[in-house]
Amino acid sequence: MSRQQNPTDCEPSVPVWDKFVRIFHWSLVLCIFTAMVTGFLMGPEMVPVHVYAATTATVLLFLRILWGFFGPTYARFSSFTFSPRTIFRHALAVRSGHAKRYLGHNPLGGAMILALIAAIALLGVTGAVVLGGVLKIGPLAGYASYMTGDVAKEVHESIALFLLVLVVGHIGGVAFESKHANDPLVPAMVTGKKPARDGDVKSPTVRVYLRTMVVVSALGLAITVGGMTAMASKKSANMPVTNISPLVADECTACHMFYHPSLMPAKSWAALTATLDDHFGEDASLDEDTTAEIRDWLMTHASETADTQPANIFTRALADGAFTLTETRFWKQMHHEFSDADFSAAPVYTKSNCAACHKDASTGMFSPFKIEE
Amino acid sequence: MKKLIITAVAIGLGTIALADTPASILKSYEAEAGAAGSVARGQDLFMSQHTGGKPDTPSCTTCHTSNLKASGQTRVGKTIGPMAVSANPERLTDAAFAAKWLRRNCKSVLGRECDAQEKADIIAYLMSL
Repeated sequence: MSRQQNPTDCEPSVPVWDKFVRIFHWSLVLCIFTAMVTGFLMGPEMVPVHVYAATTATVLLFLRILWGFFGPTYARFSSFTFSPRTIFRHALAVRSGHAKRYLGHNPLGGAMILALIAAIALLGVTGAVVLGGVLKIGPLAGYASYMTGDVAKEVHESIALFLLVLVVGHIGGVAFESKHANDPLVPAMVTGKKPARDGDVKSPTVRVYLRTMVVVSALGLAITVGGMTAMASKKSANMPVTNISPLVADECTACHMFYHPSLMPAKSWAALTATLDDHFGEDASLDEDTTAEIRDWLMTHASETADTQPANIFTRALADGAFTLTETRFWKQMHHEFSDADFSAAPVYTKSNCAACHKDASTGMFSPFKIEE
Repeated sequence: MKKLIITAVAIGLGTIALADTPASILKSYEAEAGAAGSVARGQDLFMSQHTGGKPDTPSCTTCHTSNLKASGQTRVGKTIGPMAVSANPERLTDAAFAAKWLRRNCKSVLGRECDAQEKADIIAYLMSL
């Protein structure tokens, strides 16, 4: 009978979710939503937004974990960490419709929170490995190879899918409780208050260690930022050559942008320099000595010698000695959102004019952080 | 001190080597051809549409445009300085540079190298503008 009442009418409201938990929750929702949309649905130019949203989520999560030890009663891990047995029993009770009402998280909800926290934390760690290994930025740039970063990317994507499942489960659980137990959980996460009912399972009230929280989180963040900065100072191995041959730069940029030698394997450079008399529809021939000098420099610094993402991808994509980057499947995939007209319009003019949008094209890096349209 | 002198001499020699002028370049092609360059023939060669070369570049004007006092553009959008000597103080001041591009571009546009007479004609035309 009481289940049918409007909960706000005659039930006393009690504070459950403190301000920190509520702000944390909705900020995290925003960050994870942004990271999911940019990560699953959008192109490389959104990688910076993804990284900023994800970094914010990680910092929020770090603070939330500390709050789980120093915060008020229902923010504490101790209030929503249950034994697998209790969780199982609660699940059975939910099925039979006799589950007890918990003022904080019920055992299933608590398990979900722990799973969400674990998944997001793992996403933060694997994401940092991807950043370091694939894009050569961040604290792990000097430690993770491209291959490590590439594996981390696979793991990162799998965990992200798993997180998506968890989020659906979390929302589903909230919807289920709101409907079947007539428990206004969503408003509770806004106002912080929940109706108190007879038979509620309550957690023993604990005191808040606010000062400890502030000191520990400040210290923790300082140590993390300091440690990461120190780690970031280590140079990554096998970076693209930065000391560019003036001869190569002069001759090649007479007609077009500078294509970094790390963008193609040695075999492709050999094939390209052997056919300069018909170079993408024009005669770009040079005398033998000059051609040889240019070829040798390009081959010395070819993609096999660099561990960047373009170098790794084009080493494989052009393994047959082809030298048209824009014909590769990878290139087409990365640029599928653009039409031919987008490329032919000023100031791009052609697909081969990478530097029109990739401001770091001449370095061979092609960082998603350096894309300007 | 010794290094300084060597550097100075090297720079001096370099300057001499680069000290080509449109007139000196024209003269050397005219000498090779055994006849003076013709502005009219040069203009005709430069402005015409040709068929023997690469399909993307049927004419000099494909990249240089028909206004030679203004900048042109390569097929990938890079700016080419004005061809008219009067509009570009660097034009025809390096014989090797001029030779390289005359060789390449005649092959791109005509499908063959230009002979000395044609080169003299083109240079005479570019100097007349």
